[in-house]
Amino acid sequence: MLFILVVSLVIPTLSFAQEKGLEVAPGIPRSETLILENPEGRIANPGKFNLWGGGGGWSTGLQQIAFDALWYIDPDAGIEGKTWLNSLAAEPPVYNKSFTKMTAKLRKGIYWSDGVEFTADDVVYTVKTLAAHPEMSWGAAMKVNVKNVSAPDKYTVVFELSQPNSRFHALFTVRWCACYIMPKHIFEKQKDPVAFDFNPPVSLGSYVLKSYDTAGNWFLWERRQDWQRTTLGMLYGMPAPKYVLYIAPGPPEKRVMAQMNHELDVIHDIAPEGVVTLMKKNPTSKAWFDDFPWAHPDPTLPAVVLNNEKYPLNMKEVRWALTLAIDIVDVSMASYNGAATISAIQVPPTGHYLEWYFDPIQPWLEKFSLKVGGKPFYPYDSSIPFKIAEKVKKDLGYNVPSDPKEVKARLGYGWWKYAPDVAEKLLLSKGFKRDKNGKWLLPDGKPWKITILCEGEARPVMTRAATMIAEQWRRFGIDAQAEPIDLLWTRTSYGDYDASMIWNVETWGGHPDLFWFLESWHSQYYRPSGQATVSKNFMRFKSKKLDTIIDQLRRRDFNDPKCLDLGLEFVKLSVEEMPTIPIMSYNVFTVCDEYYWTGFPTAKNPYTDPVPNWANTKYMFVKIKPVKR
Amino acid sequence: MKNPFIGYILQRILQCIVVILIGTTVTFVIPRLVPATNPVETAIARAQMIGQYTDPKAVDEMRRVLTKLYGLEGTVFQQYVRYWGSLLRGDFGPSFSSFPTPVMTLIRVSLSWTAGLLLVTTILSWIIGTFLGGLAGYFGEKPWARTLEIIANTIRPIPYYIMALLMLILFSYVIPLFPRGGAFAIGLTPTFSWQFIRSVIIHAFLPALSLIVVGIGGWFQNMRILVSNVIREDYVVYAETLNISSRDILYKYVMRNAFLPQLTGLALQLGMIFSGALITEAVFNYPGLGFLAYTAILRGDYSLIMGITFFSIVAIAVGALIIDLLYPLFDPRVRYT
Repeated sequence: MLFILVVSLVIPTLSFAQEKGLEVAPGIPRSETLILENPEGRIANPGKFNLWGGGGGWSTGLQQIAFDALWYIDPDAGIEGKTWLNSLAAEPPVYNKSFTKMTAKLRKGIYWSDGVEFTADDVVYTVKTLAAHPEMSWGAAMKVNVKNVSAPDKYTVVFELSQPNSRFHALFTVRWCACYIMPKHIFEKQKDPVAFDFNPPVSLGSYVLKSYDTAGNWFLWERRQDWQRTTLGMLYGMPAPKYVLYIAPGPPEKRVMAQMNHELDVIHDIAPEGVVTLMKKNPTSKAWFDDFPWAHPDPTLPAVVLNNEKYPLNMKEVRWALTLAIDIVDVSMASYNGAATISAIQVPPTGHYLEWYFDPIQPWLEKFSLKVGGKPFYPYDSSIPFKIAEKVKKDLGYNVPSDPKEVKARLGYGWWKYAPDVAEKLLLSKGFKRDKNGKWLLPDGKPWKITILCEGEARPVMTRAATMIAEQWRRFGIDAQAEPIDLLWTRTSYGDYDASMIWNVETWGGHPDLFWFLESWHSQYYRPSGQATVSKNFMRFKSKKLDTIIDQLRRRDFNDPKCLDLGLEFVKLSVEEMPTIPIMSYNVFTVCDEYYWTGFPTAKNPYTDPVPNWANTKYMFVKIKPVKR
Repeated sequence: MKNPFIGYILQRILQCIVVILIGTTVTFVIPRLVPATNPVETAIARAQMIGQYTDPKAVDEMRRVLTKLYGLEGTVFQQYVRYWGSLLRGDFGPSFSSFPTPVMTLIRVSLSWTAGLLLVTTILSWIIGTFLGGLAGYFGEKPWARTLEIIANTIRPIPYYIMALLMLILFSYVIPLFPRGGAFAIGLTPTFSWQFIRSVIIHAFLPALSLIVVGIGGWFQNMRILVSNVIREDYVVYAETLNISSRDILYKYVMRNAFLPQLTGLALQLGMIFSGALITEAVFNYPGLGFLAYTAILRGDYSLIMGITFFSIVAIAVGALIIDLLYPLFDPRVRYT
C-alpha cells in the first residue's frame, strides 16, 4: 500500500506536460520541422543507412531527402508541369539504335554533403560495385544487364549493355524508388560494401541526418547549409523545412490523434473513417481531394488475380462469369466507403492515364461484347461511378461532386455490369450445373469452391473488398471464402491459390509505357504453379498475342508514341481474356495538416505525389511554406 | 548410498536440455517446410510489394545469390548441422531481412527494452495480484474484498488491446499527461543521465500500467481461488480453534501454502518475457522483441526467428528448472527423490 501511495505521489511530478507548438526535440523548433509518417513502422536495424546493402529502412527519409537518382517520373503533374524530371542527370538518357548502349549526361555543380563533388566516377563506381555484388539491391540487375560502364569525362557515363534493353534507364528512374548513386569516396575505403553501415550517411539530397532513434521509431534530418549544391536546391530553391522528422506513429487511431494535436503533419494512410474524422474535427487537415473521395490514387491496380493454371479458372468464360457476378458498387462501398476509383481495365485510373488510356478506350469498351447463347452481350457500364456517387450521398451523406467530369476523375470511368444471369449462361455453356440447392457444380460434378486470399489486418481495405466479393460469389452459388493470410505475396508467387486480392499492375503514372510491369508477363518468364514467379505474372497467363505486344515494346524507344498504341492493344487483349479482374486504383488516404505548413500537393495543385514514402515527395519540400504562428 | 539431491538435480538438468533441443529443432524445421516462408522469395516479394523495379531478367540471379548468401543450400538436415555448429560458437548468423546485420545485434537492442518493461511489470503485477488475491480470498465476506473481486472480474475480460488503447486515449490525448509512444523523447540519445532516465520512465509508464492492470487481474483471481481452497484445510481450521491471530494464520499458514502454484506461474511468466509483448509494442510503439519476432515471421527471416525463439525456449526451460530446484526450499513436503 505504501508503495502504491509513493508511486501515485511521485509519478505526477514526472508527468509529461505536452506543450504544443514549441519544440519537437531539444533545440528543434516545431515551427521549423515537418513531421511525416514512416509507414514501415519501427525499423529493426536503424543504424544501417546502406540501402544498397540491405539498409535499415526505405521510408525513414533516406531515399526521400538524402539520396538522389538520375531521373524521376512523377506520377502526377510534376513540379515543372511535366512528369519527366532530370535530377542528377542533366538530360534524358540517350540510347544507340540497337539499345545496347545508353549515355547519361550528368548535372554539374552537385556536391555530396561532405563537400566532395558528385561526378561520373560515382555512377561508374555504383554500377561496378553493384554488379560485383548481386546480393545488393539492384546488384543482380546490374550484373545481368551491364557489360561495361565508363566515364569518358567527368560528367558523362556510358553504359554498354550485355543485351538490347530499351528500358535500362528504368533502373535509375524513380517511380517509387530507383537505383540511387553511392559516394565512391566513402564506399571505396570499405572492405565489404554490403556489411558497411554507412552511418552517418553522406547525402546527395538536401538534408543530412541529425539524429535517429536507436530503437528505430524516428529519424531527424536537417537541411544542408549548402542546399544550393543539390539538385532540388539548384533547380527549385531552398526547401522550406529546416528539419524533417520521419516517425512511426503507430496504429491508425494514434495517427488521427497525433494530427488532431498537430503533432503529425503528413499521415501516410488511414482508413476512410479516419479521414472523415479528421475532416470533421480538424479544420487544417487536407487530403488530395478537398472532399469525397479524399484519397490520392496511386498508379497501382489492386485486382482479383485468378490462377489461370487452375481448373476451371483456365477458361475465360469462367473468368468472365466471375467478373459479372461482382457488384462493384457494393465492393466499393464495403472496401472504401465508396471512395474507390474503379477501373474496368488493366491500368490504374490515375494521373495522365485518364487521358492516355481511359478516354481513348471508352468507345471500344462500349462496343465490346461477349457471345452469350449466340447473342452479343455488352458488359460495360459507364454509369457505375454515378451509381456509386448516388449511393454514397444517400447512405453516407458525404458531399459528392455532381459534375460528371469530376465524378469520373474521382470514382472512375465505368466497370462491368452486375449480371449474374449472364454469368450463369456462360457457366452453363461450359458444362457447369447447379445442384438442388442452387450451388454450382463443376462439369465433373464436384462442388465449385474458390478461396480469395487477402492480407488481413495489414491491408484492411483490400480485405474488406475480398470479403464482399466472396459474399457475392456465395450469393451467386459458388462456395467462396475470403482467407486473410500474412504471407499473401509469397503464396501467390508460388501459385498456391485460386484467387488473390493483390496487385500486379504498377505503372509509372507519369508515363504511358507499361513495360515496368508488363515485361514479366512474357511467356519467357512463365513459371508454373509450384515455382515462384519471376516478377508480376502471378496469374500464370500465357498468350502469343501478348508476347508479340511485349516484343514490339522492347524494340521501341521508351518515348515512341507507338508504345501507347501497343499499350491500348494490351488493354483490349486483357479485357477479352480477363486474366485478372481489375478492381480499383490503390487509393491512399494521405492527409496533410496545414497548421504549421501549407502548400501540400492536391488534386487542384498536383505538382507531385504527397504519399510520404514515395521518393518524389522531395519536390514537396520546395513548395510548402511555413504558416506564421 | 546415492545422493538423492544430486540425482534430482541431474535429472532436472537433463530434462531442461532435452526440452531446449526439441524446441530448437521444431522451430528450425517448421518454417523450412512451408514454401511461402522461404526467406529468398520473401525478400524478392518484399522488394516487389514496396514498388522496387525488379528486372525479370535478374530475378533468377537474385534467387541464386540470396540462397547461397542465406546459407540455404543443401538439405534441411545439412542446414541443421551447420546451424548447431554456429550456435555452439555463440553465432546466430546474420538476419536475412536486415542482412548482414547479426541477429544478436537486433535482439540485443530490443531485448533490453523488453526485459526492462516486462520484468518490472510481471513482478509488480504478480506481487500486487497475489497479495490482493490472498486478502480477498481470506476475507471473502468483507465488503472491500467483494469490491476488489468485482473490479478484478470487470477488468479481466477486457481485451488487452482495448485496455491499452483506452489508457492511451485517456492519458495521452484527453488528459495529456504522458507521451503517445516510443521508448524515450525525440532528440535524446541513450545515456546515463537523469534527462534520459526520466524520459524512459515517462514513456514506459502507460505501457507498464496497461500490462500491470491486466496482469493483476489474472494473478488476483488465481490467488483468490487458491486461498479459498486452502482456508478449508484441516490445519487452518485447527489453527483457528487454537485462537491463533488472523494475521498469523493468513501469512504463515494460508498465503504461504497458497502461493506455491503462483510461484511456478511467475517463473514461467518470467521465462516468457523473451517472447515480448506484441500488442503493447504495437499500441505504444515500444521497441521490444514481440514486434521483432512478428516481423521476422512475416519476412521469413529464419535466423532471426531462431534467435528469438531460442532465447525464449531457454528462458522458459531454465525458469522451470530453477523452480523445480528451489521448490523443496519453499515446500518442505517436497523431497529430492
